[in-house]
Amino acid sequence: MNSIGLALAIIGASLATLFAGIGSAKGVGLVGEAAAGVVSVDPDKFSKVLVLQLLPGTQGLYGLLTAILMLSRIGVIGGNVTELTVAQGLMFLGASLPIAIVGLFSGIAQGRSAAAGVGITARKPEHNGKAIIMAAMVETYAILALLVSILLIYNIAI
Amino acid sequence: MSKLEMKKIELIAMLTDSKKIIELLQRRGVVEISRNADGLDYMNVTGVIGEFEKFRNIAVQALGVLDRYAPEKKSVTEIFGSKSEMDINKFGSNAMQLEKIMTVAGEIVRSSQEITESEKKILQLNVRCDTLRQWKNLDIPVNFKGTATTTAFIGSVPSAVDITEILPENTYTETVYRSKEITDIFVISHKETADDTADILRKNGFIPLSETDSHTPAEIIKSCEKERQNLLKYITELEKHITGFAGQRKNLEFAVDYLSMRKDKYNALNLLGFTENTFVLNGYIPEKYTDKLRKELESKFTVYVDFTEPSEDDDVPVLLENGNFSAPVESITKMYAMPSKSDVDPTPIMSFFYYLFFGMMLSDAGYGLVMLIGTTIILKKFRLDDTMKKTMTMFRNCGISTIIWGALFGSWFGDIVQVIGREYFGKEIGSIAIWFQPLDDPIRLLLYSFGLGILHLFLGVGVSFKMSWDEGKKLDAILDTVPVYLTIIGVAPLASSILVSVPAIMKTIGTYLMIAGIVLIILTSGRSSKSVMGKFFGGLYALYNTATGYLSDILSYSRLLALGLATGSIAGVINLIGTMPENMIVKTVLLLIVFIVGHTANLAINLLGAYVHTDRLQFVELFSKFYTGGGREFRPFTADTKYINFREDI
Repeated sequence: MNSIGLALAIIGASLATLFAGIGSAKGVGLVGEAAAGVVSVDPDKFSKVLVLQLLPGTQGLYGLLTAILMLSRIGVIGGNVTELTVAQGLMFLGASLPIAIVGLFSGIAQGRSAAAGVGITARKPEHNGKAIIMAAMVETYAILALLVSILLIYNIAI
Repeated sequence: MSKLEMKKIELIAMLTDSKKIIELLQRRGVVEISRNADGLDYMNVTGVIGEFEKFRNIAVQALGVLDRYAPEKKSVTEIFGSKSEMDINKFGSNAMQLEKIMTVAGEIVRSSQEITESEKKILQLNVRCDTLRQWKNLDIPVNFKGTATTTAFIGSVPSAVDITEILPENTYTETVYRSKEITDIFVISHKETADDTADILRKNGFIPLSETDSHTPAEIIKSCEKERQNLLKYITELEKHITGFAGQRKNLEFAVDYLSMRKDKYNALNLLGFTENTFVLNGYIPEKYTDKLRKELESKFTVYVDFTEPSEDDDVPVLLENGNFSAPVESITKMYAMPSKSDVDPTPIMSFFYYLFFGMMLSDAGYGLVMLIGTTIILKKFRLDDTMKKTMTMFRNCGISTIIWGALFGSWFGDIVQVIGREYFGKEIGSIAIWFQPLDDPIRLLLYSFGLGILHLFLGVGVSFKMSWDEGKKLDAILDTVPVYLTIIGVAPLASSILVSVPAIMKTIGTYLMIAGIVLIILTSGRSSKSVMGKFFGGLYALYNTATGYLSDILSYSRLLALGLATGSIAGVINLIGTMPENMIVKTVLLLIVFIVGHTANLAINLLGAYVHTDRLQFVELFSKFYTGGGREFRPFTADTKYINFREDI
């Protein structure tokens, strides 16, 4: 039975990486498409649109972070694998869900917002900062989800 | 500090001095000129402006050509867009040489046009050569039409038809070239059958070779080749010619800047009002420059200068000025919006928290050190313009804050100290935090984050209190802020008790404060409404708004913890990956590579994160309490140059 608990926890770590990563990949891709259009006309704006493109990338990073913290907590990283009950495994699985799901959707939403922001950078480059802030608004929810995931991971008794 | 006091300036002087005065103002760069509205004459200088624009474009083009053929090795200094300085004597002597410089610019542009022309010609020659190459076996001139008794046809037919079979008897056909698609043929026919031949040829898709040259194809190809060589040589010569002007780059840059200054000057002249012998200039000037400018103008020219207080309706521009500590954060204020007439400058209000939050989010002493060293070198080594200098100083201050927070949390490039101790010396070092490690007790840090957030919000509410108070709305000032303070101070210990144990006495006091605050909000917030019911429901609505608004505001500060955790954890992961191999040598090499690459990437992404989210906390949480913005930035008439700094301080 113990190995099932561990398997559940590992599924949790995978989910966090998977969905948050997909969200970021979609988001970054969206902005990249818009950014390439701007750069084709004005290559000097490359660095400015690159920052915008980077913004939806953090969700994937948060997913990775959650997964690694979880794996090190249960000892998959570091060598001493802890034996987990099914209930504990499910707890870890549950702990991965906030960043997995919020990461997926906020990554895409932030990508859209940043892609629209590329339009600001193209037409009014001096207001580039506003585009960044608008895209960053979306990230708040990914941060909240990350926070909950981390707090859960560190407070599940094993 | 903060918003500079603005004065309106009115300057009346002799027409003969107008250009000199405008030049002086441009060099000082402290006056914003507005259009004269007194119904005086304007000077029509659009033609002159166009002329300057034209010359400037030639100089810009010439610089572009130089960049292509004789690229300048860019030093690191230029990455930061620094300008070189030029004193007034050098300026004068350079200006005298403008004609020479423009001749050079014209020469460069002309040469580059010739190169383009020649390249086009070469392309045409290549095309011609390629078509004629098929004909090189033909040893008669290509425009050969026949002799007295014969007619000649030179051209191509599709290879599908065997043309020799269908042509009349007394014609001679020679196949010059044959490919799968076309066959090039030379046909000579007796005058009598010429029409028949022409007819048959036309029916079979004959395309005559359209050449008027009286040479054989081989000869033409040869001369083409020669011409091509000549053109190539010519291009190389032109390129050398252009490269020879590489030393003129500085002069050309000067010309570009000088001409745009001249253009701006005439644009400014356009805004003035003129009478027969005098001119009138209106505009805005920061008050602190008024005396100096008046003195300088009066000592050099016959002028009448008057400084007046702007009226309510005037669209007064805003210029920010802050001390060394706050000034670097001005760009953050500008990014949001310049303060309007009724606003205070939020820069000094937020600067302390800006540095504090930034450091807390990045929260790694190693990264802070990198920022501090990097920005200090840049600030010392390079001549930066004002904006860049401020930005760098801001990041330097943020770096210092990051070092402090990192040391408090015991994070130096993540846990590199512990990792090296464990892997290389077999010692468990444990925490080196001055305060505590966030991962050991995240709840504690979460509460501190909320606490700092509450202080930050209270600061914003406090500013709005002061603004209302100064406006004379003293009752509003008290009623809009005190209940909020009471409620939040009351709720804080109650909410904390969910996460940590709080002394009972604090909870009791908290409860009373909260109730007092809530009652006050319900009773007073609806005061603008006329009916009793309106007052009551207005109060309830305000309570709902206050509760949800401040709750989400305070929770938003959890990013202080979350981003700090993210930086530290990713740094830890990087160190972990670096020390995975068992073999000592492999481990050391890998650690070195992973350390440099990994921490650079982590620093970059978290630097961006910390910057963006610190901005957000200021814009959304703090500014919403007291700041509207919407002012117009002060844009003085100045030497807006690209390469050389002409501005002189007043």
